[in-house]
Amino acid sequence: MILVVSVLLRFVACLLFSPFLLGVIGKTKAFFAGKKGPPLLQPYYDIVKLLQKSGVYSLTTTWIFRAAPLISMSAVLIASFLIPFGDFKAPVQFWGDVILFAYLFGLARFFTVLAALDTGSSFEGMGANREIVFSCLSEVVLFLNFTVLVVLSKSFSLSQMIGDRSWASWTAVGPSLILVIVSYFMILLVENSRIPIDDPATHLELTMIHEVMVLDHGGPDYAFILHASAIKLFVLGSFFVTLLIPFQSHSLVINAAIFFAGMTGLAVVIGIVESVRARLRMNRIPSFITGAFVLALFGLIIALARAS
Amino acid sequence: MELFLLSLGILTASGLLVLLLGSFRTLCHWIFSASLTLACGLIIFVAFLFLRSDGTANFRAPWPVPFGEFSVGLDPLSAFFLITIACVALASGIYGCAYLHSYHGKKNLGVHYFFYLWLIASLVLVVTAKNAILFLVAWEFMAIFAYFLLTFYDEKRSVRRAGQLYLIATHCGTFCLFVMFALMGSSAGSMDFDQMALTHYGPVLTAVLFTLGLIGFGVKAGFFPVHIWLPHAHPAAPSHISALFSGFLIKTGIYGLLRIIFIIKDLPAWSGPVVLVIGAVSGVLGVLYALGQHEIKRLLAYHSIENIGIITLGIGMGLLGNATHHETIALIGYSGALLHVLNHAIFKCLLFLSAGSVIRSTGTGDIDEMGGLLKFLPFTGHLFLIGSLSICGLPLFNGFVSEWLVFRSLFDGVVHLDKFGIILAVMSLVSLALIGGLAAICFAKAFGVIFLGQNRSHANGVYKENPWMMWVPMAFLAVICVWIGLFPKTMVSFSLTSAASFISKEIIPAEMDSLLQPISFFTKVFGVFFLVLSLLILLRFFLIKRYPVRLIGTWACGYELLAPRMQYTASSFAEPILHLFKRVVCFKVHRSEMPLTDFPKELALSSKVVDAPEHFIFSPILVLLKKISRVMLKLQSGYIPQYLFYILFALVALLLWKFPWGK
Repeated sequence: MILVVSVLLRFVACLLFSPFLLGVIGKTKAFFAGKKGPPLLQPYYDIVKLLQKSGVYSLTTTWIFRAAPLISMSAVLIASFLIPFGDFKAPVQFWGDVILFAYLFGLARFFTVLAALDTGSSFEGMGANREIVFSCLSEVVLFLNFTVLVVLSKSFSLSQMIGDRSWASWTAVGPSLILVIVSYFMILLVENSRIPIDDPATHLELTMIHEVMVLDHGGPDYAFILHASAIKLFVLGSFFVTLLIPFQSHSLVINAAIFFAGMTGLAVVIGIVESVRARLRMNRIPSFITGAFVLALFGLIIALARAS
Repeated sequence: MELFLLSLGILTASGLLVLLLGSFRTLCHWIFSASLTLACGLIIFVAFLFLRSDGTANFRAPWPVPFGEFSVGLDPLSAFFLITIACVALASGIYGCAYLHSYHGKKNLGVHYFFYLWLIASLVLVVTAKNAILFLVAWEFMAIFAYFLLTFYDEKRSVRRAGQLYLIATHCGTFCLFVMFALMGSSAGSMDFDQMALTHYGPVLTAVLFTLGLIGFGVKAGFFPVHIWLPHAHPAAPSHISALFSGFLIKTGIYGLLRIIFIIKDLPAWSGPVVLVIGAVSGVLGVLYALGQHEIKRLLAYHSIENIGIITLGIGMGLLGNATHHETIALIGYSGALLHVLNHAIFKCLLFLSAGSVIRSTGTGDIDEMGGLLKFLPFTGHLFLIGSLSICGLPLFNGFVSEWLVFRSLFDGVVHLDKFGIILAVMSLVSLALIGGLAAICFAKAFGVIFLGQNRSHANGVYKENPWMMWVPMAFLAVICVWIGLFPKTMVSFSLTSAASFISKEIIPAEMDSLLQPISFFTKVFGVFFLVLSLLILLRFFLIKRYPVRLIGTWACGYELLAPRMQYTASSFAEPILHLFKRVVCFKVHRSEMPLTDFPKELALSSKVVDAPEHFIFSPILVLLKKISRVMLKLQSGYIPQYLFYILFALVALLLWKFPWGK
């Protein structure tokens, strides 16, 4: 019973809170640009508006085009069950859940890419191709990050790797943990198609990655896609925030407040990065990911050196 | 055991029967499918029953061959391979009947069926033989029958060449095996596997034996860089034979390797690291080469090398775990490898069969000529999708389960092994993650370009779905993929049992439960996934229902319509990643010169991936061999007095050698 309630609460938290992050990012960017910017709740308005629209489909498409947004949304929602949100333990934990976690995003991505190819438009083919190539590379770095955490925590379950911090005292594992955190943040930007990898607000399809891939989606389908990418940011971000939260209290309310404050802080940081950095040229992105890989590798070397 | 021998008998007897009755087409066809179904069903039944119970079953009969004995036996390892072989053989055999239907009367299909049935019989013998001589005989039969099946389209020059290459490669491997078994037999004093397993070989001999086995079985399995026969053989064969090749024939190499690991036992310390490196290299390069292929069966053939790499990573972790006395790591590594053998056999067979169905409908194997086929070939298309999802190792399908096991043994290695072990495990982990990502690119490309979008060669082309005899076997395989993906418990416990018998470890029920506990979570998580998915589908249904749905063309930036030629092709899809790895995979792009005129002119661009080992290692060796043999040819002049002179010369040499000089 408690399990069901906690699962449902998680569900609601993911669904309700995730668009807020996008709002915060937008507001931060507007602040840096000296503008007033759209209201904080704009992503909610967008999603609600889109849900009310009618469906328009290309004659070329098949059921895959229609099903992909639903499949990717379900996959990222399920991934949220495997990860601790701050001090809130994951309802599903087992030895090796981290691989399921990573591959659920893979499932979501595979269907989004297929949906893009389903339209037969070369723009979308291009976007699909870029998305899957860059995420293939970033997945490697993600696994390397996991490896460092496995080495540090001697555990292979997400909840113990990042949630249970008895292993992590900053003085002892600080250097490798910092390297992992920086490397993971870079991957977070890649996976969620933020600047400097991809500019969700650009006006030219030729320069986009994620947005060009979902160009032909509209109405409720597009609402699901927007929401799913917000949830993805939330879930991947909560990995980051949980790893960073320095302490935990015994009060549920305070824990929840800390977690959500951390998530909002993360959104502000992403907003700041987006404001001060320009988008990278497409052929420089692999170097960016390689940078993250090297950081994680150094983190691993330090962790191994310490273990001996 | 009796049932098992009965199935072997059915296979051989009906093989002879179809050979004799080759001219009665329908009869021959029915005998073939009935006997195949019966035999494979029996084998699956026997193997399942065997894995559920403990114990061994053996059958011995004298065999008047020096050192030979007709000794076959079931143990958990062979039982696991038997299940694999029966599933693959059944599906591709039934499919083959329909696939070759148009060749009725043009070719003698009785002969083809005969070779097929006897090949299955020899494959079954290979995985159950308990005597080295019997094993080698079955191995050789398997190679020869496979050659005849491979060269079905023998009127084509390219097919004959591919067949020759296969025959040469497989015999080079077999040569190593002969030497290996001879060495083993001479130290054990018997050609019996059980006797061999009891013998202790010295450290030097162990190293030699393991190297010979690795090469000999590696050629068959398609390890990098001795894989070169694979990408030639698969496209040359009829699709159901490619499916059998990729599904099971190459796995006999893995079986052999596991068998000698079991027999030799005290392996040298470097065996684990070497096997891990071979696995990582085969895996990554296999999938990279696959990305550069635009012929569907060649692409799938390179993917077999990739999956053999994943299996080998599992075996490597097994070896490493055993050498460092971490039995759990070894157990999970081997069981991951074994389960991936089964899984790969199933989904690769499915993919080859659906590729064959595509080729049969469209008349071409070039991906860039296809597109939009999901609408014309709904069964084939969806079955190919299931195969692609499985091979990418995505959750809900079987590939994920075995890749998860391999991942788990690698992560366990990171936790428990010493520093050197950790470095190896991390290297394998990184390559396995890369393999997963690259496979997703490759199959997004393959499925997307073949089945989605618009057709590239005929804008209004109409293709016909193939008869049910072709897609029902495919559906059978797809059901296994989904079954293992959603309810992995049975097969994982089987693979754990086999792996445990293999490292001579007793698994107590409590340990089994703790090993299976994460697996049981999969089913629950997937259940919730489907619940969420169905809720979302309902929500979407009500949202969409409120307004009429408009159907129009894909947005073409304000132009009238998108032409099929404007779509992304397989080449353009693969270009960025190949460009990234161009130093690894010899990726070459040729473009014509841009003319310096005021008006644009036609330009040409082509790209190609060159198989490095084939062109830079084996081709030079072959050229060298040719040169040497040209010199040797002078000895073989065909001039009789010269031969007489040779005899004289040899006699004199022998006399001089044996002449009692000293006395």
